[in-house]
Amino acid sequence: MNISKTIISYLKEGGVDFFLSVPCKLLANMILILENDKDVYYSAIPREEEGMGICAGAYLGNKLPCILMQNTGIGNSVNSIVSLLQLYQMPVVFLISYRGTPGEPVGAQASMAKVTEEILQTLRIPMLHCGSEKDLDQISTFTAHAKVIENPVAILCDFNLMRED
Amino acid sequence: MNRFELLKLLQPMLQDNLAVCNIGLPSQELYHINDQPNYFYMLGSMGLASSIGLGLSLSIDKNVISIDGDGSVLMNMNTLATIGNRAPNNYTLLIIDNGSYGSTGDQKTFTDEKTNLKEVAIGAGCQNVIECKGSETPSNLNKALDDKNNSYVIISKIDPGNVVVKPIPINPITIRDRFRKSIGLVSYL
Repeated sequence: MNISKTIISYLKEGGVDFFLSVPCKLLANMILILENDKDVYYSAIPREEEGMGICAGAYLGNKLPCILMQNTGIGNSVNSIVSLLQLYQMPVVFLISYRGTPGEPVGAQASMAKVTEEILQTLRIPMLHCGSEKDLDQISTFTAHAKVIENPVAILCDFNLMRED
Repeated sequence: MNRFELLKLLQPMLQDNLAVCNIGLPSQELYHINDQPNYFYMLGSMGLASSIGLGLSLSIDKNVISIDGDGSVLMNMNTLATIGNRAPNNYTLLIIDNGSYGSTGDQKTFTDEKTNLKEVAIGAGCQNVIECKGSETPSNLNKALDDKNNSYVIISKIDPGNVVVKPIPINPITIRDRFRKSIGLVSYL
C-alpha cells in the first residue's frame, strides 16, 4: 500500500487532478486510494481508448489527466494517442502497470511486454521506468514535464515493484 | 432531412454552447455552415467525440454537446456505459443517426439493420434517452440544454446524404487554443 500511496501522492504533486483507471491487480491499491480521495476526480472506465478521449476533454477543461492501465492498454489506444492527444498536443500521464516483466506469473503477458517500450518509443512518448522504490521520487517532475512538452508521458511500474505493495 | 440540413437548423443552440464534433464530414459541414471558436473539430480518433465531450463536461460547468454519429458510436459503444454511469448534468450526447458511414462513401451501418441505439443507451444506463426525427431535434436539444438537473442522449433519425465541402483549413493547435479561449482558459489569443 505504501508504494501505491507514494505514486499517487507524487502524481498529485506533479499536477494531476483527474484520474481514470482500467483495472489491473497491480493497480488495485491505487484504485482504492483514489476511490477515497475527495481532492481529485476519479472514475473507473471500461476501455483505455475511450479513456484517451475523456482525458483529452479533461485537458480542454484545464485538468491534467492521468490514466492508470496495464501496458496492454497502450496497444488498445495507439490511434487515439497519435491522432488526438499528439495531434492537438495534449498532456496526459499514463501510469502503467508493466505486466510481463520479471516476477510475472502469467506467461502470456510477456507478449505485450516485449513490444511495449518499442511502441512508446515509436510514438516518441517519454518513459520513466520504475523498477524499485528509489525511482519513485522522479514521478512528480516527470508528470509536470508532460505539461511543459504538451505530450503524453508514460510511467512504467514493474511487476516486482508493485507485487509486494 | 440530411445531416447538413440538421446542423444548419441547430445553429441557434450550438453556437452558444461548447460543441465537440465528430470527425470527417460532420465537422467539415459544421465548419462550412457556421465556424465558431467554441466548436471543437475532430481531425482524427473516430469514435471519441462522445468521450471528449464527457471529459470536458466533467471538468467545467458550462453545457457541453457531443455531436456524434451512429457509425462512430458503434465504434466506441462502451462509452454509453460510461455516460450512463458518469455523465454530469451539463452533458448532452447528440447522435445523428442516418444509418450510414457518410464520410467513407455511405456504406450502411448496423443501425440501418437491427441495432437500436436508443435501447442500447437505455440498457447501458443512460437516463433521458430521446429518439426523434430531425425536425424535432431542435426542441429536444433546447430541452436538454435548459435542464440543469439531467444529462441527455438524443438520437436524431435522419436520412443519409452529405454535402461535399472542403477539408477544415485550420490547424489542430489553432482549433485547440481558440476552443480553450472560448472557455476562458487561454489569454494570449
